[in-house]
Amino acid sequence: MNSQNGARWRNLVGLASRPRPVVAATPADVLYAENKWRLLRYRSTSRRFATPILLVPSLINRHYVLDLMPGKSFVEFLIGCGHDVLIIDWGTPTAEDRFVTFDDVCGQWLGRAIRKAAALSPRNQTHVLGYCMGGTLAAAHVAVHKEHVASLVALAAPVRFGAPGLLTSWTRAPDFDVTLLTEALGLVPWQLLQSAFQMLRPTLGMAKVVNLYDRAWNDRFLDGFLALETWANDNVSLPGAFFRTWIEAVYREDALLRGNLTLQGQPVDLAAIECPTLAVVFEQDSIAPAADCAALLEKISSPDKGLEVVQGSHVGGVTSREASKTLWPLLSAWWAARDAAPQQRAEPNAAPQQAAAAPAAPHKTRVARSKAGA
Amino acid sequence: MWMWDQWKKGFDVWEDATARYLDQVLQSPIVLGPAGKALNVAMRAKAQADKAMAQQWAAIGLPTRRDQERTLHAVNQLHSRIADLEEQIQAARASAAAPAKTAN
Repeated sequence: MNSQNGARWRNLVGLASRPRPVVAATPADVLYAENKWRLLRYRSTSRRFATPILLVPSLINRHYVLDLMPGKSFVEFLIGCGHDVLIIDWGTPTAEDRFVTFDDVCGQWLGRAIRKAAALSPRNQTHVLGYCMGGTLAAAHVAVHKEHVASLVALAAPVRFGAPGLLTSWTRAPDFDVTLLTEALGLVPWQLLQSAFQMLRPTLGMAKVVNLYDRAWNDRFLDGFLALETWANDNVSLPGAFFRTWIEAVYREDALLRGNLTLQGQPVDLAAIECPTLAVVFEQDSIAPAADCAALLEKISSPDKGLEVVQGSHVGGVTSREASKTLWPLLSAWWAARDAAPQQRAEPNAAPQQAAAAPAAPHKTRVARSKAGA
Repeated sequence: MWMWDQWKKGFDVWEDATARYLDQVLQSPIVLGPAGKALNVAMRAKAQADKAMAQQWAAIGLPTRRDQERTLHAVNQLHSRIADLEEQIQAARASAAAPAKTAN
């Protein structure tokens, strides 16, 4: 106990000068770049599956929440399992991107990323995982353009926006004039977005401090904490035109669920989603409530659909050590089961069977209730 | 450590109760109304200031900030369109090559 106390105070005193953990460390190559966004393909010498996985993060936060730090990276885990992993880095919009629309992001850019990823596969298809807003965008896109999508995983991705809650109250407040805001500011500043998310639980800052003191003796915890804080404070402003559609159509009118949303002039009908689909929801998610995410499965017509209800919060549920033992292997196994015939690619410097020892399916059922065919 | 554990339990209870209370407060029209109005006033002021600045630039024949943003956006749109066309050309080439391969 005394040694824990000693380590705790040593770590707390040295916190300011403690070297920050390296985030987004998994090596990747830029497969494609357009405007500010880039499609990254992670390097691997042991790809075992024919169908790549495209990760679609939120526009509000940086992509590297899925590649937080070595040993705590979903991407690193998937590569170890033999998957070919790509991710969209939405980049940092600048003043002229105030005109970037929902159609540009969800139709044009996401579509191109999916096609580029699919082109790497012999079946010309890719698995798509959308996280948070990225999942909502992915669902809307797949409902209209399904050609190159082998499967869809909606990770904490809301599709219903009418449920009572802070975000609904704020976005639907009659005095909140989104057009005025976007006309005046162009880009919706990340500071505004970040403070809105912080206001979802204003006491969270204090709870973090207490939790930090409680576990500061643990170096591993401290590194993870600092990495997550680095990510949480590295936010991105949103294009005004995109934000206007997001708030007015998606939030206020609940247009995605009601079928009133259009993408590049075509109606977005979630019932058109026929590919294998998995919705992963978190029980303690205050940003994307579980019921609002699970609603996707009620609308789609895929015969192969499932719901995973996972313990955890919106971010912790994806990045925690628990996630690395339960959720990550579960997702890897889900994709492995829906891959085309596994292949051995003749890639230079391949380390044969290096990933064979990686877990194929061994998820513990602490992932909580799992309802197949929900 | 016992005292710390007891304090932390108390803190957790307080934190949860306070968060629930603030949740109600922050949804209340009494808070949302004035906050929304204040935001609108600030945005109108910003828009007016930008408009006045743009008029100054336009008066001396220089492009405004908005003009430059529109131009840069148009360049980005053109880049995107070219990428579309490149994709279409590649697809056309691939489909033209496919029957040839099959014939072989």
